[in-house]
Amino acid sequence: MSSKNQNTNIDYSLILIIILLGIASCFAIYTVQPFLPSIYDGQNFVLKQLIWYIIGSMLIAVLLLFDYDRFRQVVWFLYGIGIIALLMLFFNVPAFLINEANGARSWFIVPGFGTIQPAEFMKIILIITLAHIMVSHNEKFKVHTNKTDIWLLLKIVMVALPPMGLIAVQPDLGGFLVLSAIVMSMILVSGIRWRILFSIVGILGVVTTIFVIMFLIDPTLTKNFLDKVGFGHVESRFYGWLYPETYGDSGYQLIRAMLAIGSGQLTGKGLGGLEVYIPERHTDMIFSAIAEQFGFVGASFIITLFFLLIYRLIHIGLQSNDLFGSYLVTGMIGMFTFQIFQNIGMSIQLLPITGLPLPFISYGGSSTLTYLIAIGIVLNIHYRTKEYMFD
Amino acid sequence: MEKKKKSSLPFRLNILFIVVFGLFCLLILQLGVVQILNGEEAQEEINKTVNTTTKLSVPRGKMFDRYGRIILDNEPVSAITYTPPKGGDTAKERLDLAEKLAEYITMDKTEVLKEVVTSRDRKEYWYLLNADEAASRLTAKDKEKSNAEQYQIMLDKITQQDLDTINWTGSRLNIIAIKKELDKAYELSPYVVKKENVTDEEFAKVAAHLYELPGIDATKDWDRLNVYGNTFGSFIGGITSSEEGIPSENRDFYLTRGYSRNDRVGESGLEQQYESILRGTKEEIQYTTDKSGNIVGTAETVKDGKRGSDLVLTVDIEFQQAVDQIVKEELETAIKKNPETNKYLTDALVAVMNPKTGEVLALSGIRYDRDEDQYNDESFRVIFDANRPGSAVKGASVLSGLQSGVIKPGETIEDKCIRIAATQPKCSWKNLGVLNDIDALKRSSNVYMFQIAMRIGEAIYRPEKSLVGYDPSNFQKMRNYFSQFGLGVETGIDLPYEENGFKGSNLNAGFLMDFAIGQYDTYTTLQLAQYVSTIANDGYRVKPYLVKQIRQPVAAKNDLGQVQKAYNPEVLNKIVMNDSYLSRVQEGFRRVMQEPQGTGQAYFGDAPYKPAGKTGTAQNEIYEDGKLIAETENLTLVGYAPYDNPEVAFAVMVPNTGIVSSGTKYPINHMIGRRVLDKYFELKKQRGLNGINTNLEKDNKEEILRKEDVIVEENMNEQEID
Repeated sequence: MSSKNQNTNIDYSLILIIILLGIASCFAIYTVQPFLPSIYDGQNFVLKQLIWYIIGSMLIAVLLLFDYDRFRQVVWFLYGIGIIALLMLFFNVPAFLINEANGARSWFIVPGFGTIQPAEFMKIILIITLAHIMVSHNEKFKVHTNKTDIWLLLKIVMVALPPMGLIAVQPDLGGFLVLSAIVMSMILVSGIRWRILFSIVGILGVVTTIFVIMFLIDPTLTKNFLDKVGFGHVESRFYGWLYPETYGDSGYQLIRAMLAIGSGQLTGKGLGGLEVYIPERHTDMIFSAIAEQFGFVGASFIITLFFLLIYRLIHIGLQSNDLFGSYLVTGMIGMFTFQIFQNIGMSIQLLPITGLPLPFISYGGSSTLTYLIAIGIVLNIHYRTKEYMFD
Repeated sequence: MEKKKKSSLPFRLNILFIVVFGLFCLLILQLGVVQILNGEEAQEEINKTVNTTTKLSVPRGKMFDRYGRIILDNEPVSAITYTPPKGGDTAKERLDLAEKLAEYITMDKTEVLKEVVTSRDRKEYWYLLNADEAASRLTAKDKEKSNAEQYQIMLDKITQQDLDTINWTGSRLNIIAIKKELDKAYELSPYVVKKENVTDEEFAKVAAHLYELPGIDATKDWDRLNVYGNTFGSFIGGITSSEEGIPSENRDFYLTRGYSRNDRVGESGLEQQYESILRGTKEEIQYTTDKSGNIVGTAETVKDGKRGSDLVLTVDIEFQQAVDQIVKEELETAIKKNPETNKYLTDALVAVMNPKTGEVLALSGIRYDRDEDQYNDESFRVIFDANRPGSAVKGASVLSGLQSGVIKPGETIEDKCIRIAATQPKCSWKNLGVLNDIDALKRSSNVYMFQIAMRIGEAIYRPEKSLVGYDPSNFQKMRNYFSQFGLGVETGIDLPYEENGFKGSNLNAGFLMDFAIGQYDTYTTLQLAQYVSTIANDGYRVKPYLVKQIRQPVAAKNDLGQVQKAYNPEVLNKIVMNDSYLSRVQEGFRRVMQEPQGTGQAYFGDAPYKPAGKTGTAQNEIYEDGKLIAETENLTLVGYAPYDNPEVAFAVMVPNTGIVSSGTKYPINHMIGRRVLDKYFELKKQRGLNGINTNLEKDNKEEILRKEDVIVEENMNEQEID
């Protein structure tokens, strides 16, 4: 009795949320522009960000033309391109095309255009790849056993590790953590049984506990270990987070951000009320500018928008009756949630400082495009979801 | 099947949703804590401004002689200073500042500036003007290097051709010379950019344009002025220049004590020894700066500065001047009389002190510079140069003999050459017959001392035979007796450094005998003065000292403030010897000076103040490149007066006088000793009649006149600070 109703509608509420976020982004960048250091003189970030949004919107439109299922055909091609780009950064070839900033080698120079950050696009590529693997696996093994679950887990890890490793050595801790969040959220929904998931959580918990205990007993040893495995800068971030007053270098940003956000109080200082100087305010620290000017009210508004966005994504994920679509949406949810939580959390001392943009709000070409592409994919999934009347 | 498989997905997505919801709640919650709960505190924190303090130097303490006559003064000079802001100015900002400043001041003549401004300075200047061009010359490889290395490479790549594009006029060199000075300043610490020869016009111009010269000030700095020129200058010591700042080897020591890097500190003599007292307390000025480091409002004095405390020395500057004059005249006479034989004679050294208190009255050392044919004040040699004293130490030898029991009081020994098999005979200056201990001193018998030495060394002497039974460990025993008089140990004078003298390492019996007549170990003139003071002071060895009192600084030019601390005489030790033995040595010393046949009687026999003492002549050899080139004599004299109630003790040391037959010999040691004592008692008598002479001849009249001109000005400054 179930009549298939081809409900090819566009999710306007999601588009509305994105438009609101886009307006908030351009507005926030506009308010910050006069307070940026002189090296940015002559750059119109608002206009640039607007252009990114327009390009992104066009990409969404193009994406909607194809069924997202087509991704499964080109998934390894995309994955290959992503990995090659990251390898090129790793080996620093060709050197004249590679830009190094703040000690990290994360950008390609595109002459006459600017820089692009492959790690951003890698996020989407990884989501698609993992979703593809999980779907293929679940189609092959209809019944979950310990053996098939571990085999799936192994495949996920094998695909996820190369990009995560290459991003970690740039070093780009933020990018690494985002990929981790994507992998974890997707493992959660992959159908792997709870007993295995709990084992993984248990092992991670034990490893973390061992690290903390080791650190309490012999901080130098732990520090040396972290240095050796290439995570030396992580430790200072932790110190800066726990004791910002004492660890001036890494605590400085946090102190400034807390001052800015805190002094915004309930209703903010109003337009242009930016008293505290914070470096990189148009990118990673944009939330502090919103919270300082518009206070708790303005900041909560942004957070609510984000919450609605995630809520909408989960709704689409649940609605989709195609496994591939659901997995893709889950990956997006993991990516967005982590970035939002990390970016806002780091400026209010919930988490250590990490270089991560606030999705849709922070100025940045690569990141804005990536997130708009992600939204495009989600819209596509919604667009092609067949609604069963009595489902 | 499809449905079943998918059934777990909604549940798990809902779990994900709950996690997301939890995380967003956490964000809102923490945001509420930060913005609403702690928001006001954050705003207060922002409104708070930062206070930074700058410490301004104050004049150092002055020095006065024992009668309150000023010896070391401060001379105010106009100075242009530069205080970099917190975090410092950039090179470009300093260049701009130098360009503005160059309109008002000239560092030096163009010819001099050409020397001052080095090739590197010129390159740095070119770099500042052409930074982009210089940077473009870097290769990709260069750019991987550190900033400092890159800068060096850029400088290296600047060619002479590049430099020739700039016209190095005098005014341009002036700008560079000014910038060079600006570069040396540290943040928030005033640095003197120009002090020497700041004209009134320059000073006024800079003062009038301070508003356009951030960090620059037209102010006063102080130079040390030795009122009596070189007189006692060795011991007053010196301070570093503002450019040298605190000595780098002790940088932490000074920095932890509140010094700035370009503070001037004592680097020698009393300036160094009493640094903590002379430096004073810096004036602290607090600037209030906003978040970006700009100064808001006016500076506020948070701590008044206080000029360094003054020192009152034990030295009598009038007597010191006279002693210097005597030493110089006598040295000149001795050299002129026998220029050929005295060709190695360069120094004459004198130390005069109160034997009971240890107060040093005068320390004088004159050196003849043969190349320049002039006599220079090098009085530091009194504590730095150690020489063989000769017979002057025989008092210590006799006391060692008496106390160790190897001779009995009044024991007689025949003065006959000591003849040990296979060695040179050891004799007195002539055969003196049978002598007791007192006359052995009076007539300066070597043989008596040799006997004491052999007996202390437990050696059995039989003429023409080898010594039997000598125990070298007894050498130390004899040195221990000597050290009780201060011979071979530190005198304890309040100066940063003093020489202890050289101790021979060969301890055979012959050297012990030489030791007993002052022919082995070497001593400084001050050690000899302490030795004779110990004998004069009934066996109490007192510490010689130069600073009598520390006085509170006062504004008035030549007045002394309240006593802040007084130094009392300090007895270092009492010699462990029987008092009756000591009085035998004192009697011996009296006879040397006052009885016929006493070795000093010819020069001191008629002195009304009844001196006691001991003469000395030590053989000395001059080596050049390891070869003996001349034999000379050290002429010494130690003594005190009056013998029964000594108030002045002295030691004279004239090393390397030529050996001449007694007829034409010039007894420079006796002449100096007699004239110094005469002068001492003459001054004492004069003061009894006329009081202290406060109007001494100063060293440099021109200097003094200049000082008079600015007295009024300085007083004003001091009142502000005190």
